[in-house]
Amino acid sequence: MSSTENQPHSGKKRLIVIIVTVFLSLLISGVLVTGWYSLFRRTPLATFKTPEEHFKYASIGTEAVEGIPYWIWVVLPRLFPEKLPDSGGYTSLGLTWEEGNEMPIGVTKENIGIARVGVNCAVCHVGTVRKTPLSKPTILLAAPSTKFDAQRYAQFFFNCAQDPRFNPGFILPEIEYNHHLSFWENAFYRFLIIPQTKKALLKRSEEFQWMENRPPTGSGRTDMNPLKITVLNLPDDGSVGSTDNMAIWNQKQHQGFSYHSDGINTSLREVVLSSALGTGTTPQEINLESLNRIEEWLQEVPPPVYPFDIDHDLAQRGAEIFANNCASCHGFNSEQIGQVLPLDEVGTDANRLLHWTASASEAMNNYADNYSWDFSQFRKTDGYVAPALDGVWAKAPYLHNGSVPSLVDLLNKPSDRPKQFYRGYDVYDQELVGFISSDPAAQKSSFLLDTTVKGNDNSGHEFGTELNAGDKKSLIEYLKTL
Amino acid sequence: MSSNSSEQSPPPAEKKPFISISKRTFVVVTAVILALLLWLVSPFLFHRYPVQYTDIDEHFRYGSIGGENSDGIPYWIIKVLPTVFADKLPGEGYTSLGFIQEPDHELPISFVRSTNSFNFLGIEALGIEVVTENCATCHVGTLRSSPDDSNPQIISAMPGFTVNLQGFIRFLTESAADDRFTADNLMPFINSAGAHFNPLEKLVYRFLVIPRTRDELLELRHDFSFMNRQSLYGPGRVDTFTSYKTRRYGFPVEKLAETELKGISDYPSIWNQAPRQDMRLHWDGNNNDPSERNRTAALALVSPTTIDLDSLARLRNWLNEIKAPPYPYAIDRTLAAQGEVIFDSNCASCHTEQGSRIGQITPIEEVGTDRGRIDSYTYELASNQNLTFSGITYQGVDQRFSHYKKTNGYANSLLDGIWLRSPYLHNGSVPTLRDLLEKPEARPKSFYRGYDVYDQENIGYVSTVPAENGKEFFLYDTDLPSNYNTGHLYGTDLDSQDKDALLEYLKTL
Repeated sequence: MSSTENQPHSGKKRLIVIIVTVFLSLLISGVLVTGWYSLFRRTPLATFKTPEEHFKYASIGTEAVEGIPYWIWVVLPRLFPEKLPDSGGYTSLGLTWEEGNEMPIGVTKENIGIARVGVNCAVCHVGTVRKTPLSKPTILLAAPSTKFDAQRYAQFFFNCAQDPRFNPGFILPEIEYNHHLSFWENAFYRFLIIPQTKKALLKRSEEFQWMENRPPTGSGRTDMNPLKITVLNLPDDGSVGSTDNMAIWNQKQHQGFSYHSDGINTSLREVVLSSALGTGTTPQEINLESLNRIEEWLQEVPPPVYPFDIDHDLAQRGAEIFANNCASCHGFNSEQIGQVLPLDEVGTDANRLLHWTASASEAMNNYADNYSWDFSQFRKTDGYVAPALDGVWAKAPYLHNGSVPSLVDLLNKPSDRPKQFYRGYDVYDQELVGFISSDPAAQKSSFLLDTTVKGNDNSGHEFGTELNAGDKKSLIEYLKTL
Repeated sequence: MSSNSSEQSPPPAEKKPFISISKRTFVVVTAVILALLLWLVSPFLFHRYPVQYTDIDEHFRYGSIGGENSDGIPYWIIKVLPTVFADKLPGEGYTSLGFIQEPDHELPISFVRSTNSFNFLGIEALGIEVVTENCATCHVGTLRSSPDDSNPQIISAMPGFTVNLQGFIRFLTESAADDRFTADNLMPFINSAGAHFNPLEKLVYRFLVIPRTRDELLELRHDFSFMNRQSLYGPGRVDTFTSYKTRRYGFPVEKLAETELKGISDYPSIWNQAPRQDMRLHWDGNNNDPSERNRTAALALVSPTTIDLDSLARLRNWLNEIKAPPYPYAIDRTLAAQGEVIFDSNCASCHTEQGSRIGQITPIEEVGTDRGRIDSYTYELASNQNLTFSGITYQGVDQRFSHYKKTNGYANSLLDGIWLRSPYLHNGSVPTLRDLLEKPEARPKSFYRGYDVYDQENIGYVSTVPAENGKEFFLYDTDLPSNYNTGHLYGTDLDSQDKDALLEYLKTL
C-alpha cells in the first residue's frame, strides 16, 4: 500500500482513513457493547412468591463474585464425570432437585451478562430425609444439609479447571449440543468466557489452597476458613475447624441465644450477613434485601415434625428423664440453653474452638466499618453452646463436629460410639434415631468420617450415658417429639 | 484473488512479473479452476434439507425429526455395512434385524435418508448424506393372518415388535470395533455400491467421514456397554432410560448400579394420544406431559439443538387423532357383549377413560409385576433431566423438561387396540391376552417373540414358533432379570367361560 502513495492520492487517503476509523470504531463499540451485554448486563433478579421459595432459590449476591457461567455449569458434570464421587451429576455431591425445578435447592441462576450460577444459604441449610432407599427425599427447610459436600463441590470446579481439557475445543461442543450459540456468542465463549472462567477458577483454587492442608470436612460439614482466609485475608494458621451444618429454624424461640457452635456472636443479623460473605458474596454484591427476607422468615419457620411413628406412652416417661437429666442445659426455660458451656465441662473436640480466634473476631468487627451494616458482636469464647433441641431428630449426626451418628450412640460412652461411619446418606434409621451410617448403601458416594482424624473426635458430652437401657429408650422416644 | 486485483491495475513496468501471461489466458485458467473447484465441492454445497413428507404417515415412516447433525450415520456407510460385515447379522440386510422393508422404498422404514451440515463457528454450511432414525424405528409393526400370508399389513404407531434395536446398535458398534472398519476396506464397497464420488468426496470420506464415524460408533459402543450386564432385549424391547444416563448426562457406564439395569421394556403403541393428555405416561408414569414425553423419546435420536420441533409437532397432532386399527378377524358379538359386563366390573376402573384410576399409578406392591423398570428410572436421572431443553422455546412455550417424577409403580393405561399390543405387561413377558388371564405360574415360562403371524385363539402374536424360512425368533426366558412374568393378577380368578367372554370383548377395543 504505502509504496503506491503519492500527493494526488492524499484526498483519497484521507477518505480511506475516515472510512477505516469509522469502521474500526463501529467494530470496537460493537465488541464493547456485546461484551458489556454478555458480561455485565444485569437483569432484574428472579423473584419468589413465598419466603420458602425465596430461601431455596433466591440470590443473596454470590453470582457476580463466584458465579459460574450457566452453560459451563450445566456441561461440566457431563464432561468430567470422573471428578465426581459417583454417577448422577451434581446429585453425587449431595445437591437435591425438587421435581420439575431447573436448579437444585440452594443453587441460584441470575443474569450478570450471561446467566451465572451461584449458591445461597439453602445449599447448606436445607436437609432431606427418606424412609427407604427407594423413597423420594422429603425436604426439610432450615435443617442442616447432611448430604451436600461444599468442599468437594468447589474442588470439582477447581479440578475441572486444572484439567488440560478445560478448553473451548472440549467444552463448546457439549454446550452447543444443548444450546444454540450464535456466531458472536460462540466467539465470546471461545475467546473470553471459557478462558476467563478457567482463569478465575484457578485463581480461586489457590485461595482455597488451605483445603489441601487439612482433613476434608466431607458431607454436611464446613469450617470457618472461607471467612477467615478468603473474606478477612488472615493467614492460614493450620487449625482444623470441621463443624456440622446447623439447623437455623425457629429463631423466635431462640432469642438471646449465641450463634455458631462456639457461640461467637449473639446477633442473628450479623450471623446471617457474615455467613453470606463466607458463602462467597462481597460487601459490594451482598443482597441485603434478600437476606432480610430470609432472616425474617427464619424467625417463623418451624422445626420439622418427626415423620415416623412415636410411642407416646414411652415418650411421656422419657419426658421425665429429660427433665431430670437434660433440661438444665437444653430446656427452653433453662439458663444454660443457647449459652456457652466451658470446654472442660462438655469435653468435646477442642479443635473447632481453637479454630476461631480472638484476632478473627477483631478482624470481623473491623471488617465492614464503611458500610451501612457492620459487625460489632464477634467475640472469642471458651466452650461450646448448649443448643435448643427443637427438631433434634433431623440434626444428626450429633455434637458440633457431627462425630456421633445417632442419638442412641450419643447416649453411649465415647469408647462405645462408632469409630468410623458414613455421613451424607439421608435414609433414616428409626432404631438408632439418626441417618443410616453403616450399611453398604450408605457407603455409596458418602463420606467416611474417621473419629481419630483431627477435628473429628467423638468424646465428651457424656451426659445421660449412665442411664439404664430402659431410661435411654424412653428418653430417645421423647427426643423424637421435640 | 490477489492476482485478480493486480490484473485490474497492472504493475509498474519496472516490476515485471516473473511469468508474463496474457489477460485472456488468465481469465480462462481462473474460470477452469473455479469450475473445477465448484464441481469438487458441489456435492457438499447443494445438500438437500432434512426430509419432510406431505403425507403424514409417509413422514412418520421416512421423515426426519432432526438427528442429522447429532446422530446421523453417513449414508454410504449405512449402505455398505451389511455387506462388509454380513457375518455380524443374523441374515441378509437390515431386515434380518426386524426392520420393515416396503417394496417401493430404497431403505427400510425408519431409515431417514437426509443430509447433515458442518457447524463452523456457529455457521452451518456444507454437508454429506446421512441416515438417521425416527419414531418409526420402534413404533411400526406388521401383521399377517397366517404363515401363508405373503403380504404383511404394515401398521404405523403400533409397537415395533419385530425390530431388534439392541441387535442394530450391536451391529453398528461391533462393526466399528472390527479391524475391517477402515477406509481401505470400506471404500471399494462404497464405490461398487454406486457412490460415484468425485476426488474431493473420496478424500473427505477416506480421511474424515470413515474415521470419524468409527470414533463416534466406538463411543456409542462404550456408552451402551451396560447392555453386556443385562438380559438380551430381543425384538420389540429396549431399556428406555439407561442410555440417556450415559449418552446424554455423562453418568459413567461402569458406575451404573445392578438395580438400575433391569428395566428392559416393550415398545408401546403411540396412537390416539389425545385422551392421554393428563394421564401418567411411560410405563412407570414418570411424566404427564405428552409433548415432553415425545421430546424425550426423540432425544434418543436427536439433540436439544438439532431436534426438528416442527416435524415433532406435526407428528404429535397426527398421533393425537389416529385410532388403533379394529380387530380384523371374526368377533362373536354376543359373547363380546357378555364380556363387556365382566370387563366393567373387573377392568374398567383402571383401563377406561371413565375409570377412577385411569392414567394413575398402581403401586408396585399392588400390581406385582417385574419392578426392574421402576428402579431403572432413578431420582438422579430425574434430577439431571430438569436441565434438558433449558433456554429453548417453541411457539412461545418453554421446552425445558419440568414434568418428570420418580414413581413407585406402573401407570394404568387405556386398552385401545390391545389386541395388537402383544406381548403383554410392560416388559412383554406374557405372550397373549389368554395367558395374561392365567395365574403367573400357569403363564408360559418361555416363548418366542418377533413372529408377525396372529394367534386368533389366544389373542396375540404366535409365540410358539421358533423359526420360519430360516429366520429364527427370539426365545424369551421369563426367569431372567427384567423378564419376570409375575403380577397383574386381575381377572385370573375368573372362570373359563367368563375369560372367553372377556377375551372376546377385548378384541373390540
